[in-house]
Amino acid sequence: MELLVSILVLGATHALLAAGIVIVYKASRIVNFAHGELAIVGAYVFYSAGLITHGQSLLLTVLATAAISALFGVAIYVALMRRLVGQPTFVAAMVTIGLAIILKAAIVVFWQSKSVGINLTRQTLYSFPSGGRLTSVDVITIGCCIVFFAALFAFFRHTRLGRQFRGAAENPLLASQRQVNVNLILALAWATAVFSATLAGVLFGSRSMLSPQSTIIGLSGLTAALVGGLDSLRGAVIGGMLVAAATYLTARLIDPALSEAVPFAILLTVMIWRPWGIYGTPEELNRV
Amino acid sequence: MFSGTPYLRVSYAETNRILPEPYQRVLVAAIAVAAIVLPAFGNAYLIYLLNLTFLAIIGSIGLNLLTGYCGQVSLGHASFLAIGAFVTAILANRYGAPVWQALPAACLVGAAVGFVVGLPALRFRGIYLAITTLAMHYAIIFILTTYQANFGSSATAGISVPAPALGPYEINGGRAWYYALLLISSGVVLFSLNLSRGYIGRAWVAIRDRDIAAASVGIPVARFKLLAFVCSATLAALAGGLGAYFMGVVTVEAYTLELAIIYLAMIIVGGMGSTAGAVLGAIFMTLLPFGIERAFEALPHAWRLGTTSYGLQEAATGVAIILFLLFEPKGLIEIYRRIAEYFERWPFRYRELQPAERR
Repeated sequence: MELLVSILVLGATHALLAAGIVIVYKASRIVNFAHGELAIVGAYVFYSAGLITHGQSLLLTVLATAAISALFGVAIYVALMRRLVGQPTFVAAMVTIGLAIILKAAIVVFWQSKSVGINLTRQTLYSFPSGGRLTSVDVITIGCCIVFFAALFAFFRHTRLGRQFRGAAENPLLASQRQVNVNLILALAWATAVFSATLAGVLFGSRSMLSPQSTIIGLSGLTAALVGGLDSLRGAVIGGMLVAAATYLTARLIDPALSEAVPFAILLTVMIWRPWGIYGTPEELNRV
Repeated sequence: MFSGTPYLRVSYAETNRILPEPYQRVLVAAIAVAAIVLPAFGNAYLIYLLNLTFLAIIGSIGLNLLTGYCGQVSLGHASFLAIGAFVTAILANRYGAPVWQALPAACLVGAAVGFVVGLPALRFRGIYLAITTLAMHYAIIFILTTYQANFGSSATAGISVPAPALGPYEINGGRAWYYALLLISSGVVLFSLNLSRGYIGRAWVAIRDRDIAAASVGIPVARFKLLAFVCSATLAALAGGLGAYFMGVVTVEAYTLELAIIYLAMIIVGGMGSTAGAVLGAIFMTLLPFGIERAFEALPHAWRLGTTSYGLQEAATGVAIILFLLFEPKGLIEIYRRIAEYFERWPFRYRELQPAERR
């Protein structure tokens, strides 16, 4: 029971990270290597916003961080990614790597790489009769993940913009000829991605300390996205849970030191065995 | 022999010369003379920086063979360097192997690792390949970290490497290293130039531009992709081994993913698919952090905030990558080409629609 809860909590963070990578990939075929950095910088922004509001109003902090992260996503699209239309996808990926370096350096410059933790709520323990335990942070993490994915699926399934998004992801040229504003869709994709990265970063930071080294969670997110399939949101959830389960079980049953190696071991296995992931489409391999 | 203009080559040999124009020969001769007499004037710090640059040149030319010519994006270059450094260090420290055995052995191991890392290239292209090499990087670094932790007294001490000796001559001190590295990196430049203008290099370029088309004209794509990985890893292992001797100590912490990205930045900044570009990029990216440090020292004291200088040095790589990809995607070498073309055509300004492929 406790095991399941731990895996669910870890998996929720991975799934959120993977969702951001998948959304950007679906919309523009760009693999975002800056995702871990975006998450951690987002968490640092949340921490600073909390300092500014003196921890008085959690709602204000959350709203401010959400607005900043969404705007930052739009800024990334307008300033960088829009200029790279028509270039090979490798170039865009390199730009995200450059962005990752700048973001990591930003932690050094603006936050002096100090280790900080995020306090979301008072620590409360909920105990179950079966022996499992849940902290309030665990509840928030899983809750945020469920709400986010439910909103995302509803958006893609039931709104006009969501359908346009899927259309633009399928074939941007055809979509733009049918009056879909592809620029808006792509900006929206980046805004959502950075927002979800920030959410994941904040949730991560509320359970363990933040530092420039925590940007490595981007690799877990990328692995989760690849396991599920780079172009499948459903896959992001499953992939996140699988990676979390593998990491956690290795740490628990074999050796904690080995658990750091698990994400890339899974990555290699997936690339050899089924490079398009669980729900991904094999044709994707030739599109990049 | 009749010598044409840059736009009229009259024989195959003339098309394929390394330095087709007289002024280029003068330029290279001037650079060579300057490089040889420079240690007489430069101070120890400058020579140290140049030695670092030579090491970077060897590594970046290695990456350029793979990513620039053959078009296979690799994020695993730092792990190739690490392999070279560790094999050299282990052989020199544990088994007391002399340099003429340790370095070739490092290159051989590097080639073998390059072969293995290159195997996924037979299945993937582009980003998927980059992700695979990324995973390979972490796997190799994980193995080396485990090895280092079990090697010496402490996990972070690393492996010390004695100064290399060829017979009675020991390479020690900045100037001796300068000439040794100048010689080796010149050799590597020549190797890369010859490789790129011959059959192998043109096969790589064909694979980069369109692998299916390359296969259809009879190029064994799989073999040449693997060859590119092997050549690249060998040169990287050479750079890593030399770096191990130069630094005197090898620690796995030096070979991060950031290092691999800095090498990618070198060939992007210099100009992909150009040996001269790889050299220029290596010079630029090696000297950039030191330049920023200098610029910061010139600032008034009040502006110097604790970690800001360090942070900006870190950020410089990212900024360089993004600015060059957005505004000068063909790199520094393209700036040189534009200037050269302006003078070659002067007083005319007409440009070819499809500029000739030149080195």
